[in-house]
Amino acid sequence: MNVVVKRARHPQLREYIHSAVSGLLPSIQKGLVERVAVTFFNTDNIPMERFIFKLMVNQSFGSKVEESDLEFSLRSFLIKLSVSQSLTTVLPRDCRWEIMAYFRSLPQVSTSKDAEMWIPTDTKQWQQPPLITPIKSMNSEPLGFQLYLEHPSPAEQVSG
Amino acid sequence: MVVKNKKLQNQFDAEASNSTRSDSSVKLIFHGVSIFVDGFTVPSSQELRQYMLNHGGRFENYFSRHRVTHIICSNLPDSKIKNLRSFSSGLPVVKPTWILDSVAANKLLSWVPYQLDQLANNQPTLSAFFTTKCKPADEGAFTNAICEVKHENEVLCLKDASKDASFSEAGNSFERRKQATEENDELMYENTDKTVTDGPSKSYSEEPEEVKVVEQSNLQEEDESMENYRLQSCPEQSTSSVSSHCFDNHGIRGSPTSTVIGPSKHRHSTLGDPNFVENYFKNSRLHFIGTWRNRYRNRFPSLSNGFTKSHSNVSAGTQKTPIIHIDMDCFFVSVVIRSHPELNGKPVAVCHSDNPKGTAEISSANYPARDYGIKAGMFVRDAKSLCPQLVILPYNFEAYEEVADQFYNILHKHCNRVQAVSCDEAFLDVTDLEGKDPQLLASAIRKEISEATGCTASAGIAENMLMARLATRTAKPNGQCYIHPERVDEYLDQLPIKVLPGIGHVLAEKLKIKNVRTCGELCLISKDSLQKDFGIKTGEMLWNYSRGMDNRLVGMIQESKSVGAEVNWGVRFRDLQHHFLLDLCKEVSLRLQGCGVQGRTFTLKIKKRRKDAGEAAKFMGCGDCENLSHSTTVPLATDDIEVLQRISKQLFGSFHIDVKDIRGVGLQVSRLESAGNSRQAPERNSLKSWLMSASTSSKQRFDINRIAKECVDSEGKSVGGNSGVLRIASGENSVHETNNAPNGEGRSNQSSSVPPLCHLDMGVVENLPSELLSELNEIYDGKLVGLITKRKVQGDKSTGSACFFPPERAQVEEAERSRNSASVSLRRTALEMKDTQYILEELQMVPDSEARPDSVAISTAGLENNDLVPSSLSQVDTSVLQQLPEELRADICEALPAHRMPEGTALGPRTDNMHPPLGIKTTTDNQPGSTDSGLRNNLWIGDPPLWVDKFKVSKLSTLNFFVDMYYKANSAKSLSSILQCIIAESLHPLNARCDAWNEAIHSFSELLMNYIKLKMVVDIEEIYVCFRLLRRLSTKSQFFLEVYNLVFPHLQASVDENYGGTLHIPPIK
Repeated sequence: MNVVVKRARHPQLREYIHSAVSGLLPSIQKGLVERVAVTFFNTDNIPMERFIFKLMVNQSFGSKVEESDLEFSLRSFLIKLSVSQSLTTVLPRDCRWEIMAYFRSLPQVSTSKDAEMWIPTDTKQWQQPPLITPIKSMNSEPLGFQLYLEHPSPAEQVSG
Repeated sequence: MVVKNKKLQNQFDAEASNSTRSDSSVKLIFHGVSIFVDGFTVPSSQELRQYMLNHGGRFENYFSRHRVTHIICSNLPDSKIKNLRSFSSGLPVVKPTWILDSVAANKLLSWVPYQLDQLANNQPTLSAFFTTKCKPADEGAFTNAICEVKHENEVLCLKDASKDASFSEAGNSFERRKQATEENDELMYENTDKTVTDGPSKSYSEEPEEVKVVEQSNLQEEDESMENYRLQSCPEQSTSSVSSHCFDNHGIRGSPTSTVIGPSKHRHSTLGDPNFVENYFKNSRLHFIGTWRNRYRNRFPSLSNGFTKSHSNVSAGTQKTPIIHIDMDCFFVSVVIRSHPELNGKPVAVCHSDNPKGTAEISSANYPARDYGIKAGMFVRDAKSLCPQLVILPYNFEAYEEVADQFYNILHKHCNRVQAVSCDEAFLDVTDLEGKDPQLLASAIRKEISEATGCTASAGIAENMLMARLATRTAKPNGQCYIHPERVDEYLDQLPIKVLPGIGHVLAEKLKIKNVRTCGELCLISKDSLQKDFGIKTGEMLWNYSRGMDNRLVGMIQESKSVGAEVNWGVRFRDLQHHFLLDLCKEVSLRLQGCGVQGRTFTLKIKKRRKDAGEAAKFMGCGDCENLSHSTTVPLATDDIEVLQRISKQLFGSFHIDVKDIRGVGLQVSRLESAGNSRQAPERNSLKSWLMSASTSSKQRFDINRIAKECVDSEGKSVGGNSGVLRIASGENSVHETNNAPNGEGRSNQSSSVPPLCHLDMGVVENLPSELLSELNEIYDGKLVGLITKRKVQGDKSTGSACFFPPERAQVEEAERSRNSASVSLRRTALEMKDTQYILEELQMVPDSEARPDSVAISTAGLENNDLVPSSLSQVDTSVLQQLPEELRADICEALPAHRMPEGTALGPRTDNMHPPLGIKTTTDNQPGSTDSGLRNNLWIGDPPLWVDKFKVSKLSTLNFFVDMYYKANSAKSLSSILQCIIAESLHPLNARCDAWNEAIHSFSELLMNYIKLKMVVDIEEIYVCFRLLRRLSTKSQFFLEVYNLVFPHLQASVDENYGGTLHIPPIK
């Protein structure tokens, strides 16, 4: 892709990210995944910040992918991501994070082995609609891709 | 930091020693060079690092003015340019192509021409002077051309004494030309005439005014007959060699490059003849053969298509199929002889020049001539000494074309599986004609060919293509030969190997060393040892061929992998002759378009005279040359002439060789993609391209409707191939899938000047009961009857007709139109002038006798769509929709919103004179929001978007202001860039409260809401940017504040609906 990206140094962490993303791949290819969220929780397991990757995969597109276009779009995506730090809030220490995928329908465990790696989540959700800060959108057939940040709304912080 | 740098260096050194040790042959061209890569480059910094590793250079991860010698970057931000000294510390800032080119040239090139463009313009440094030096030379090219013209007219004027070099050479040329004239007096006459006529024909390219002046004076001297004479003499003038890469897989006539010697007239070089490239290809036989293929494909498209389909079914059984190979006997001569019956039986040869002293090469000789030992490729001089009575005739390309067409017509009549090899040679697979004896068939075909064309053909019949071809060789001339499968070995045993296709001089020589001269001897060598000696593929081929085995199937038309053109005769430059490159690009572009493909990789080949080589043995030949080539790949396939020119200039510049040493130039395009498939075909900013795309999308919708209703069979429709362009652009699932069927039959028809806007089944419409017709007519504001009348008027034309008329006025003028056709045509011409107001329609009669009410409704729906060119549901009159059947309505609703943003992707930025979206219902115009607002997401459709026109015609200055901004933002697609423009504009006329304040606010809000709807799902970022801009504007302008307050709740509701949250617009600091 000809662009510099940061990556985790800890091998286990790298393994986790890698397996999570590659585990998602079959489902994404099938168009089952609607959103992928990277959620940061504070020590009370309350989400503090969520990066949402919203996917729109055009299934019928076939092989006529304009690779250079796609590469161009994805590159701009990566570049934007690396400079969007100012949009994020300062998180407290000792946060955890996890990768969540929002499926359009729950994958049948029996049908695909990959789905076994995924467990339904019971993460606490915000009571109030969150504040959305878009970071980057791209639409290069067959892939539409949007990244935005979700922060708890001020009302939430008061109540939570 | 110091430690880190040290570590990095050590790492690099370790890698470098590894890579260089593994490949010691690599020259360390970058020794002493240490680069630092700044920012984004193509190729990436990692690739550049690899290059440096492999070629002895250094790569620095961190900038240091002590270690780094060159800074590599593609682009610099403004601040760095302004502070170049502090950024670069005076080190050269070079583009990454420097490294690539140096690697390609295998030597360290001067970095000066690769200096970053941004700097070259900004800084008048010494190096910048070097880079721009070529520009004045470029301009000088034409003044030279003028000199040339004057020289040729014996007005030797020393136009510019300062051009010492060019003058001396020009003088030289003058002398040479004089020699030529002494040699041949008639030619001299023609010589001067020719240059006179040359002038005007030059004007196709931009010439400076001065040239025209010269032409004017010349024009007075010339007359029509001279012009004709020039045309006739064309074949003699600059025939030359062509390497036709279009069909190199064919192996036509052995080597693709043949050299022909022309008459010794100096202007035949690139020096003198400004139309050199054009003439070169116009008179080239090989060019004819090469481009003939396109013509054939265009003529027999369906045949070859249908044929390949059927082919897969029977391919299993092809082993035993009889195959006929038909080849015309000395095609190029016999076609020409037809018009000279007196020459029958006499030795005749075809050559571009019949100069008795000529050193031209014979391109084809008939059999009586061959008896004298005359062969193709022989000098005319030598041929004449062998056979003094030899008659030399010029080419007649029109006749060749005609005969080739007849030839193939006959072949296709007898057999549906024909593989064209060349214009005079083809394979037939007669498996399907089981009942017939192939020998009888062959003789019937040959007889018919001879009757139809007056030329004879020979045929070979065998069980595979190889043997059939060999049999033809035996059969010639004018005979046929059948090789029985059992007699193959016998036939091959004594056959010299050189006869086998695929074995040329080089291979034959190699085999000769092994004492292999005949196929029988070749058979004795084992397959393994052949493969060991000649490579796997060639070895296998030799092994198979020597046993008469050939697995190829008839009809496997290989797609050409590259398209190109090459000139390597008569190339002599004095300056950077950019117009030569330009012409070459034009030729290549035409060839690409002819093949219907676009390419991504461009290779410029240059033949450079070797240092020690003198002037070539044959006049104006290329002589002993080094072959150099550079190539580049662009991300987007193109056949655009301007892009080609830009790329080839760039490539040419990267050679850095003395133009005087150039003996041949070729441009080749590979990585071809079908032009129809390329999604972002660089459409020109023309009305036509807009129409084309608009029409295709509407046509598609039309088809969807039709298919969905299953009332018309798709074959009759024959969707034009150009629908492919938009089909992909729209990227809409349903469109994509439902269109698959018709698209298969579609043929690319890019060349059609006016694409059909709709294929209306007017036959159906006409057959309707009169009351239904009048009802329909009413629905369409009378347009339907107008259409029918039109059709009746032009009914005799089978292809269909184009007619213009304004939907708005249709009702008013309908009566007048139906009265007589004269008024229609009159009015039409008037209307054509204001073409931006009118819809272009081409009706195509579709044979469909079923007059079912369903199909009527559908075709009328299609009509509706076409009238409302910008594709959107909201433009469909709701009253019409209501009258349509339930299912159909659903179909339309489904199909139309899918095209909300179709045209955009395929189109470039527009200017004012473009075709605005049409068919806005007057009701929607005047009362925004009065129609169903759920359907009104159409304002951003079209190019320019609908709102631009709406606002333009509006009386409100505020709205007009937006249109101005739209054009100022270079007709931007996105609202954010328009808003940015507005912010940049210091003077806001928007603060003045005018009467229609509320209306303006309302209109703009409407526009915004439309935009939100359009972008919400796919591009929230854009909306975010827009609203932050709006927020900034709202602090300055009351207008924007009101709009913002009005739309903001709507925005948040929409975001909540789609994303389950509220958009966070940060407050302005």
